Amino acid sequence: MARTVAMFTDVSLCIGCRACQVACKQWNQLEPEEPEWTGSYQNHAHFTDKSYRLVRFIEEPGDDKVGMRWHMMSDVCKHCAQAGCLEACPTGAIYRTEYGTVNINQDICNGCRYCVSACPFGVVSFNHDTGTATKCTFCNDRLHNGLGPACAKACPTESIKFGFRDELEAKAKARVEQLQKQGVTDAHLYGADQNGPLGGLNAFFLLVGPASKYGLPDQPKLPQRNVFIDSVFSIGAAIAVGLGAVFAFRTRGEQDR
Amino acid sequence: MEPGLLKSADWPILIDIYFFLGGVAGGAFVVATIASLLDGSRYRDVVRVGYYVAFAALIPCPILLIVDLGLPARFLNMLMVAKHSLDIGMSAMTAGPFHLKPYSPMSAGVWGLMAFSACAFLCAGETWLADRRGRSSPGGLAGTSGFPLVRTIAGVIGSIFAFFLAAYPGVLLGATARPLFISAHWLGALFLAVGAATGSAAIVLVLGWLRGPGAHDALARVMRVISVALVAELVALILLIVSVKAAGSEGVDAALAQLLMGRYSVPFWLGAVFLGAVLPLLLQRSAIGARAPRMTALQATLVLVGGFLVKFVLIAAGQASPNGGVG
Repeated sequence: MARTVAMFTDVSLCIGCRACQVACKQWNQLEPEEPEWTGSYQNHAHFTDKSYRLVRFIEEPGDDKVGMRWHMMSDVCKHCAQAGCLEACPTGAIYRTEYGTVNINQDICNGCRYCVSACPFGVVSFNHDTGTATKCTFCNDRLHNGLGPACAKACPTESIKFGFRDELEAKAKARVEQLQKQGVTDAHLYGADQNGPLGGLNAFFLLVGPASKYGLPDQPKLPQRNVFIDSVFSIGAAIAVGLGAVFAFRTRGEQDR
Repeated sequence: MEPGLLKSADWPILIDIYFFLGGVAGGAFVVATIASLLDGSRYRDVVRVGYYVAFAALIPCPILLIVDLGLPARFLNMLMVAKHSLDIGMSAMTAGPFHLKPYSPMSAGVWGLMAFSACAFLCAGETWLADRRGRSSPGGLAGTSGFPLVRTIAGVIGSIFAFFLAAYPGVLLGATARPLFISAHWLGALFLAVGAATGSAAIVLVLGWLRGPGAHDALARVMRVISVALVAELVALILLIVSVKAAGSEGVDAALAQLLMGRYSVPFWLGAVFLGAVLPLLLQRSAIGARAPRMTALQATLVLVGGFLVKFVLIAAGQASPNGGVG
């Protein structure tokens, strides 16, 4: 297995130019979509089957000195170490590559859409034209040819960095320290910790402020963790109902009486 | 969780119907098997009707599932991987071209459906052969000859898969990121109880229509099963609401409010809870059902309608987005 690759997005450097969004569409030959009014410059509101990259625009009311604060974040599939979509997929179409990324094999996906509802980040989308689920692949074809993902290449401020996970993690930690020394005390890493939620994210972020501000769950959970306990409760119900049915049909006690 | 950013599979009503029919099939099968094991000759009508109902309810199930797929021709991919992949999930098991993913309730569910179909086919087929022999031999009793050992073995093994088929859709929903589902740990138990109630109700409707000898006793006993299942259903519903409430996040509360006080509240409280569970229990308690066949049929119909509604409303509320997200 090759070394795990990762993407590190530093929101403190994002200027909201959307070059990443355009580069993603161009390289992956994703069709244009009708713009939608989201109440902000953000387009679209969510990931779609034709938008694997999405620059989020967050407007935050400031104090008397600053009327409004802008936050921009280029969001993408997190390629989770414990991926809800991958675990949910009943066909095996969603698989982990040799680079540690999570891909959807379009030739195997049968369009059951279970992965769409199993993603804790709302990344996976259903393409009604092809009848399959789609999402970012970290530009898998480019990876195999020694190129980084198109979005990272296009980013003019290096807000999006691509590389080996261990190296990027070290860089990310250094950047947090630097920002904190500069007074940005609420700068922190999201998804970098491999012992954290979902076993760490292979697309991790430097955020300024709580994750929920950027539309990310504070504590993302692998939905499949529920399977065991839900099954135990179901077995309990089966025993209760089964015993009830046995008592309803038993005749021995009645004959004795 | 930020429910506005989560997506829904947007499964259509076809899937609700599949979940409902799977529950009916599973419930009817288990009741038939228990009746058969305890006193097959005394409850032969319950056994016959139960196995026929289970098989009949099962027939549309794979069709509904296949029709719903984005690419129906690839249905077999649920069972087989065309190409070996490095990693397709926790504890994924492969044998030749086949695979099973225990942590994917959809993968396990398809295999469970296959196994249950085989058992339901054997039991219904054996019952049909026994009926034919009973009719062709003078004085023979329908349902008492044939291959009882086959029916017993398929019945016992099939009952495990029958319960599984009734419950797994709830576990499947619980293993999604939808705020209502991910915190509701009792969906599987609830769906199982609903399956047992609706499967028994389907048997009651057919038995009441056939009006064979001994129907009164058989009906009374199946009605008792319905009562047990309805009580289990109500208990599971209460535990489900408590477990969702305990999750305590803003998104989950909003999702629950949609079900309990929002746009789904009327079909939920009036249809699923009162008409589908509480009223049949009250009617049963007042023993009106034991005396009037029409009242029994009404109770069974209410249970069936309520059973469908409880699944439909829960799935609709869970798939809808509480705050205008994609869901």
